[in-house]
Amino acid sequence: MAMPVLICDDSILARKQVRKSLPESFDAEVQTAGNGLEALQILRSQEIGLVFLDLTMPELDGIGVLEAIRAEAIDCFVIVISADIQPEMQKRVMELGALAFIQKPVSDEKLGIILKQYGLI
Amino acid sequence: MSPLGFSIEQRDCLQEIINVAMGLASDKLARFLNTFVHLQVPSIALVGATAIPDEFEHRYQDAEATLVSQGFFGNEGVRGEAIVLYQMDNAHRISALLGYEPGDVSEIEMLTDISSILTTTFLNGLAAQIENSLSYSAPRVLSSRHSNVADVLKATSFHWEHALKVDISYQLIDHSFNCDMILLIPGEAVSNIKTILDRILEAY
Repeated sequence: MAMPVLICDDSILARKQVRKSLPESFDAEVQTAGNGLEALQILRSQEIGLVFLDLTMPELDGIGVLEAIRAEAIDCFVIVISADIQPEMQKRVMELGALAFIQKPVSDEKLGIILKQYGLI
Repeated sequence: MSPLGFSIEQRDCLQEIINVAMGLASDKLARFLNTFVHLQVPSIALVGATAIPDEFEHRYQDAEATLVSQGFFGNEGVRGEAIVLYQMDNAHRISALLGYEPGDVSEIEMLTDISSILTTTFLNGLAAQIENSLSYSAPRVLSSRHSNVADVLKATSFHWEHALKVDISYQLIDHSFNCDMILLIPGEAVSNIKTILDRILEAY
């Protein structure tokens, strides 16, 4: 069965980059969100297995989304894909329960390693 | 189409490339200052170079300002001049953080260092994403306290046709620090940039 996947980024290009980097062997049903609020609406109303989450976004940023996921005990894996690569930020997202941190721009290789590592492909 | 003819897709693409480059520059700055930087999405605009002095005169009107400029050039006719503008009260906060006295001669050196870190990290990040590589001239301090920002900008920008204006705002954890970065680029560079953006967009 296909895994429901949410790609959340305010950039059209970044969303396309993630979608294109998903390996063919990964059976995913992909939805997208343009900011954190849109993402939360989807996460609250649907079962999502995996979220690819940007950090710097309008309306609600990625940290806000991670905090809400934790507070509301929403059951999903989160992989953060961000340009904000400061070690302190990476530490913070991992503490908030993210599975992994990928430095932008995303690539097949970077994503493949993480998905394999966590048995998602 | 936005002014100077960027399509929505081209603009989004350029914005994302700039965001990634900014992320690299912020990380370098955070390490240099040994602090954490709250990253904000920089607002970008492509404007005629002649409009630049007026745009910044207002913002820097009553404040002491320093401009640091650095030339860059790469393949495919990519070249230009990167200017970083600081209000001096902002700069004093940073120099205090690094242990300088206000008005210290080395304060200008510090600004030159910070500008160089920001400019070269930003532009290298940008170049890597468009599969280019850049060389740089040594940074020059264009103005300090006694000159008018608009006049200095006028003198620097008059022989360029376009300017990519990137408004950067760094919120440091306990100090606020803002600066502006302006990339002055020649006319043909705009169509080069569009071609490069289209090539990236085609890949997705």
